Amino acid sequence: MSDINRRDFLKFVGAGGVGAGAGFYLADASKKTVEYLIPQVVPPEDYVPGVASWYNTVCTQCDAACGISVRTKEGRAKKIEGNANHPVNQGGLCARGQAGLNALYNPDRVRTPLLLEGGRYREISWDRALTELGRRISSLRIQNQIDKVSVLSNTQSGHIGELLDRFIQLLGTDHYAQYSVTAPHAIQEANRISFGEPTLPYYDIANADVVVSFGADYLGTWLSPVHYSKAYGKLRQGRDHRGTTVQFESRMSLTGANADEWHAPNPGSEGLLAMAMANVVSRSSAVADAGAWSQSLSAYAPSRVAEQIGIDADKIEAVANAFASGNGLALAGGSALAGTNGVAVQVAVNVLNYLGGAIGREGGVIFNSDGPASKAASFAQLTEFAQQLGDRGTEVLMLLDANPVYDLPQSAGFSAAIENVPFVVSVNSFLDESSAMADLVLPLDTYLEAWSDASPNPGVGFSVSSIAQPVVQRVFDTKSLGDIVLGLSAQIGSELPIELPWTSAEEYLRGVWLDNYLAAEPGGNEKSFETFWRSVLSAGVVGQRPASVGGANVSLNSSATSGMDFGVGDFSGSESERPFVFQPYESVMMGVGRTANSPWLQETPDPLTSIVYGSWVELNPATAKELGIREGDLLEVASDSGTLTAPAFLYPGIRPDVIAMPMGQGHTEYGRYAKDRGVSPTRILSDLTDSRTGALATAATRVSISKTGERHGLIKNDGITRTLGRQILGPHSGGH
Amino acid sequence: MSISVLDALQPFKKAVFIGLFGLFGLVVGVWANTTYFSDKAPVQPINFSHQIHAGENEIPCMYCHAHAATSTSAGVPSVEKCMGCHKAIATDRPEIQKLTNYWNNREPIPWIKVHDVPDFVYFPHKRHIQAGLECQQCHGDVQNMAVVTRVSDLKMPFCVDCHTEREVEHGRDCWTCHK
Amino acid sequence: MSIVEKYKKYRKAGYFDKFDYHWGMTIDLDRCTGCEACVVACTAENNLPIVGEENYRLKREIKWLRIERYWDGDYPDAKLNFIPILCQQCDQAPCETPCPVGATYHNQDGLNTQIYNRCIGTRTCAVYCPYEVRYFNWFTYKWDAPLEQQLNPDVSVREKGVMEKCTFCIQRIRDAKDTAKDEDRRRVRDGEVKPACVQSCATEALVFGDLNDPDAKVSKLYKDKRGYKVLEELNTAPSVVYLKKVKAHV
Repeated sequence: MSDINRRDFLKFVGAGGVGAGAGFYLADASKKTVEYLIPQVVPPEDYVPGVASWYNTVCTQCDAACGISVRTKEGRAKKIEGNANHPVNQGGLCARGQAGLNALYNPDRVRTPLLLEGGRYREISWDRALTELGRRISSLRIQNQIDKVSVLSNTQSGHIGELLDRFIQLLGTDHYAQYSVTAPHAIQEANRISFGEPTLPYYDIANADVVVSFGADYLGTWLSPVHYSKAYGKLRQGRDHRGTTVQFESRMSLTGANADEWHAPNPGSEGLLAMAMANVVSRSSAVADAGAWSQSLSAYAPSRVAEQIGIDADKIEAVANAFASGNGLALAGGSALAGTNGVAVQVAVNVLNYLGGAIGREGGVIFNSDGPASKAASFAQLTEFAQQLGDRGTEVLMLLDANPVYDLPQSAGFSAAIENVPFVVSVNSFLDESSAMADLVLPLDTYLEAWSDASPNPGVGFSVSSIAQPVVQRVFDTKSLGDIVLGLSAQIGSELPIELPWTSAEEYLRGVWLDNYLAAEPGGNEKSFETFWRSVLSAGVVGQRPASVGGANVSLNSSATSGMDFGVGDFSGSESERPFVFQPYESVMMGVGRTANSPWLQETPDPLTSIVYGSWVELNPATAKELGIREGDLLEVASDSGTLTAPAFLYPGIRPDVIAMPMGQGHTEYGRYAKDRGVSPTRILSDLTDSRTGALATAATRVSISKTGERHGLIKNDGITRTLGRQILGPHSGGH
Repeated sequence: MSISVLDALQPFKKAVFIGLFGLFGLVVGVWANTTYFSDKAPVQPINFSHQIHAGENEIPCMYCHAHAATSTSAGVPSVEKCMGCHKAIATDRPEIQKLTNYWNNREPIPWIKVHDVPDFVYFPHKRHIQAGLECQQCHGDVQNMAVVTRVSDLKMPFCVDCHTEREVEHGRDCWTCHK
Repeated sequence: MSIVEKYKKYRKAGYFDKFDYHWGMTIDLDRCTGCEACVVACTAENNLPIVGEENYRLKREIKWLRIERYWDGDYPDAKLNFIPILCQQCDQAPCETPCPVGATYHNQDGLNTQIYNRCIGTRTCAVYCPYEVRYFNWFTYKWDAPLEQQLNPDVSVREKGVMEKCTFCIQRIRDAKDTAKDEDRRRVRDGEVKPACVQSCATEALVFGDLNDPDAKVSKLYKDKRGYKVLEELNTAPSVVYLKKVKAHV
């Protein structure tokens, strides 16, 4: 080794140095990354790290107002479950309810107030946002031009809704509307005509023997699907004899798929069908005036109207007889009530229920004694609202959690009308289609961060209320609707802050509940209220099932059917040119579009088709064969009001002369999960309305379809949807 | 004729030496890192001494780590809890003044974890405390440590050996500890 | 005991009967409406990834529980049937034998386990499973901030190259056992453990419990005359019993 020269020496040293460096690095890399142990500064009461806390509140993913329990750990919401004590959902919860976490932690939430400046949104403080808005409104108010302030809101129930109404009243503008796309206008109007009760009754599915539904998808989307699902489970296997269900609808809904019998009447003929059944039932009816009804229904004998209905007279007789002999219950909803004759269909169903003895009976229709009348504006009123925006020269338009640009067809005229309003404010959790046109966006809490209260509508046959409380701290710099209303009234000044003296929605809510408590409990005081308030918060609900559920005493108005046309409804477009009736339906996952920004729901297969991500057009396989259409062919669907393109899906549960499409997709804004995905069927709907309510007749548009020649593969879960002899669904006959 | 391997390697002698030096360097590097830059006793934002608290003053472990017997997580005391004593005690010391600063700013103290198990491990403190284990069995004689130092690696053999020795029911089933 | 003896012992169906629990489930197809609430409940509880539109198209979705649809007949007599398919926790599970690293095995509670940090991603088990309920992580999926805040801390977030499947919500079972021990009970009460899917089901189609407890609701339903096991003929001895849908007319 004596011959080490300078070069070798440097090589050895170099190797040693590189080795040492590598060794140091290796040892370092094998260490764990630094994990921190961050304590609370001041721990909340009863906080234990590693132990989950559950908070009860109310779901607002649809209008059913189910009670929910939210599991939180270390201050973050982890899981939403149904509140087992709540009489609406009794522990169950639907897919949309579970996905509420996706709204709370959505990356596309509006995080701070945004002000449009030079064509771009700038983040501003709440102080500045409310000052800016308050200044504009109060200056219009001083100039006696308050009618140039317009307010459009999503339906707001409970006491926060009352606070909003009071605020608008104090403000003095008469241009104010609330709306909900799914508002059951036809049921309420028909119940007013039939029973003098413009409310939603309780349908006691659990105790009925034969449930006949005219288009009402009570297991999927109709009114209170979780409650009815609970009832359905009981009807099937939870009692000593199994109830049967029959579904009449042109396109098989989730409820139709589960029904013992599914029949597809001609679109729009459901009123005739219900009258034909009523005709049969009246022959054996036990109600006092059955004879008179039998006479007035004589024109609707099944044999006379069966052809118009498209169902065999024998079948109608059989279903009607089963309805009459057991505890029958008839429901209507979906496309049956979405024609131009929706109210007539519901009146016919009311007659059927009445003659079957279902009104006020266990297992029948029970009117809630405290059911609220609807505040929701109809489509006709909304069109008028949009028209007024220009006519009265609206200066400030406030959109409260409302998205009319997406929700309503073009013909309502909202996007053009909003464009022309000088200052548009949108109060919303997300930048949806309407908010994207706003000059000022005020970020709204999600329902998991805000105080409010709710009573379910439809009720459950007895009085029930819940308080909705925040389950986590606000994720972003947002405020609740109540807080925004109170903050704004303080900015507007004048008598508003005196009339609305509360500093927060929570304080207001406690005040209202205290007043109600003291009124109901003669011996109550503020101290006992505190106990009561806490017990309601911890139970999530107040209101106990009485020994017997009676409900309001109602009887059928003998002239309910006079002047009513029970014939097939009208359609827009000629039958020769537009051979198909177009039926958009509320999607189980997306509803009418509010939950389209949930990645979980986007990835959850549609229950009937197993399709995820995007829209599709359902048509009968026979129709498809005739037109040479395969699954995934891009179709152009044209109505007199517009066209859209979407891929075809061959659906065995639909009439050959009907095509259907799910609502909820086709957003052009609304965050990364919803934007530019699928199409909304709403955009090609005609502006036909129900003649009695002005509600949009969503199932009254005729369309033609043609292949574009392009293909768009549907993404779906299902492979082969036939058992092919495999005993997957149970052993074949011979077994049990 | 004999063939010497060493002779055959003669031309590679230099390369071998370079390799040896490299290897030696590697060992030195690893040694230097683990000896002088160990993460067993990380430098904490406040030089908190368990020796003073748990040792000299004999404060029970679960006075501060209050949830060890009832929760999966033993819990680290809130800043409020520290201040409960240190509003009055030893307020003039620089380390306590650091604490007071955190408290005045309403900031949490970013302690660095000394004992940590990976995310895929379910480790409930309460099961172990209720089984009668002393804190020291895993955490070492913390009451004598001025700076807390990790004495056991908390790797799987450490857990399984003890489970085997104590004949823990289903103590070797994967789903007892892995989640 | 030699390895061979051990192997024979632990391959025998029902060997765990002498232990405390044999978790099982019944699914009443007459109650099930196919509404998919359970699917979302499972996604939420078990940190199932959001794979994205393109991965879904390539059939890389991960759904520990899925609803399958089977049509009978054609219009106008078309009938749609739903059946929820999840890991059947087979007593004689075909997926367990081929795993080269023992990442999946049968434990003393009658559960077919999946140990993520042992799994090396050969995907053999998925090939052997006749129910196709094993799912592979083709990527390490990310949650767009702040969506990661909803992740359940009681369940590992899986990474690329790992197989996963329904665990009967092992974290909930473990939690219930912990509570039982805290309260000095030997056994978990019937109904105390409800996997996320069972909890969410609005029609109460799913019932979960301990088959070793003859008084448990699940044990009674297990003997229902409508009961059958899917692909029973393959001798997998599933722990999930389905109750056949009743066919009726008015």
